[in-house]
Amino acid sequence: MEQTRILLVDDEEHIRLLFKEELEEEGYGIGLASDGFEALDILKTERFDLVVLDIKMPGMDGIQTLNEIKKLNKDQRVILCSAYGEFKQDFSSWVSDAYVVKSADMRELKDTIKKVLGA
Amino acid sequence: MNFANVLGKVIEISHSNLETASRINAILNIVSSDLHFEEALIYTLDTDRRLSCRFMNRNSQLFDLLDDYRCHVGEGVVGTVAQKRAPQFFTLDEVPPRLGCLFYSNLDAVLPRYKVFAFVPLADDSFLYGVLLAASSTRETIGPEERVVLSILCRELGGIFRTYDLLLSSKKRIAELATLSELGRILTSTMELHAILENIALITAKALNASFATIKLDLAFIKFNGQRFTSGSIASSLEGQVLELETEASRLNQPAARTDLHADEEKGGPVFTLLAAPIVAKDRILGTITLGRKIEQSDIADYPQDQYLLTMIANYISSGLDSALLNIKLRDVLRELSDAQRRLIENEKLRSLGQMTANIAHEIKNPLVVIGGFTKRLAKTARLDENESRYVEIITKEVARLESILTEILNYVKESPLLFELCDINGLLDEIIYLLSSDKGWTNMKIAKRYDRELPSALCDVQQIKQVFINMLMNSYEAMRGAGTITMSTERTTLDDKSFIAISVQDTGGGFDPAYLDNVFNPFFTTKEKGIGLGLAISKKIVVYHGGDIEVKNKPGEGATFIVHLPSQERETI
Repeated sequence: MEQTRILLVDDEEHIRLLFKEELEEEGYGIGLASDGFEALDILKTERFDLVVLDIKMPGMDGIQTLNEIKKLNKDQRVILCSAYGEFKQDFSSWVSDAYVVKSADMRELKDTIKKVLGA
Repeated sequence: MNFANVLGKVIEISHSNLETASRINAILNIVSSDLHFEEALIYTLDTDRRLSCRFMNRNSQLFDLLDDYRCHVGEGVVGTVAQKRAPQFFTLDEVPPRLGCLFYSNLDAVLPRYKVFAFVPLADDSFLYGVLLAASSTRETIGPEERVVLSILCRELGGIFRTYDLLLSSKKRIAELATLSELGRILTSTMELHAILENIALITAKALNASFATIKLDLAFIKFNGQRFTSGSIASSLEGQVLELETEASRLNQPAARTDLHADEEKGGPVFTLLAAPIVAKDRILGTITLGRKIEQSDIADYPQDQYLLTMIANYISSGLDSALLNIKLRDVLRELSDAQRRLIENEKLRSLGQMTANIAHEIKNPLVVIGGFTKRLAKTARLDENESRYVEIITKEVARLESILTEILNYVKESPLLFELCDINGLLDEIIYLLSSDKGWTNMKIAKRYDRELPSALCDVQQIKQVFINMLMNSYEAMRGAGTITMSTERTTLDDKSFIAISVQDTGGGFDPAYLDNVFNPFFTTKEKGIGLGLAISKKIVVYHGGDIEVKNKPGEGATFIVHLPSQERETI
């Protein structure tokens, strides 16, 4: 069976490292991008089952990146993941598949990934 | 008899500095002693065209018989002389019975004592001031020279009356001017409006010798519309009449009067005249000024003169009052504006503070996730002894606590728009109480309701307001450690002329240290072991955004009461 691939987009190197290690442990294949531009470049050539996208990033924020990704491939699954609690209520107008607040406790993120991929 | 001598004395007296009455009496005494008339009396003409016997010589017998009745001009001998302004002389045979006036029945027994009578008008070229009546029992006739002397003497007396009249009317004018100047000074002063109006009432009452004067404003836009400002006291039995008169003056836009009103139910109490005048500026009726004057027995009904003065005062104060009212309106508007500005600045401060806090929270959150995340990984992969495992557990727990604090802070600073809807507050409270008390931790809690059943609706974001009350009830619950009584009350109140609903949550949790009173609404202030002190701060923020406020009353040893004021739906008419 082919490995499920996830692209992690976050401007914080340590967050990328933490998420990568945690998710690789779960058996996913992980790609990394440090901002929206890099993520779009990668997505033009590689296929990922899921993008986990930070919201607050320099240059192009997560919301803009999300819109660009959906232009590229409207079926691309995306989870927004941010330290900001307040987007939790207001994201409904943006077309992401889910929204997770970043936490040291990774369970919510992992559960959400499973749910989105299973759908 | 030396007539020149007599006239000399008369002129000397008439030009002396003596009081008017003394001069007249002195001249009448000369008529009596030097011209040998035992009776020398003067009738004066009143403004109602009637003649009253007011002056007499020493030892006059007739005065007491004559001063009871006031005869009209044209009535009897005195009235005829006054009307024709020509003297008449009689012997006893010629003089009409009762001097031509039927009411003098007492004269029948007395008149025959006298042999001659003289009736001489007191007049100058334009005015009649009165009539001199002289009678003598010793003289047989009144000769032509004596008639001339009497007529010169009466001219002189007329002159005295004229001077007196002039003096009186200029005194009146001066008093009017003084009143107006006093009013002008009040109107241009920096006094509060109520003080201005009370002073105007006082000056008016004084100027018109009234027992009370009252000003009533008829303006919708001033907050004390309908309130009255009174100097003196209005007898309760006259209040209805005063109101009627005010309505009449204001409706017809012209002065109104009521006379012969009895302040007491039984007759014989003081009799009042009420006068009212509208205060009109730029064709707009600002209100009315009304006065009540006690009518003394000796008073001559002269209310047209008073009415004239009252109307003059009303006209005089109208434009000044209009600008004073405008000033007050302007001041209110300015105050509202500066309040609005202050609120805006405060909101702006809060907003930028919130933005900054959100940014800081965000910047802290990422490293925190990294620390916590890698600590967990470390715990999984490294071989740790018992102590080391406990350290890792502590780090993980503290990170989790920091994370939840950051979440609460972000909740506090977050701007969520208010979604207003009409809300039945009593119903909302019932719903919350039902929700909370169905929890089994609440079995030892008693909740008493004291609702105002007529409570108007409030415009509010129901979800947010619900959060406020849940928060308060939870605070009370915790203060009472799960056992005690919470009293929920609702009522209508007014703050700064605006209608509010006041909802109080009173507990029996012993209250708190009074030193905390100033801090309970501050963010991060808490007395609980758990909790970071944002509950009341968030509640306050929500209520303030609704245009209301929260206050707290603390009774150490008994309990605390939190009172939420929300604007009610009854809108002010502007």
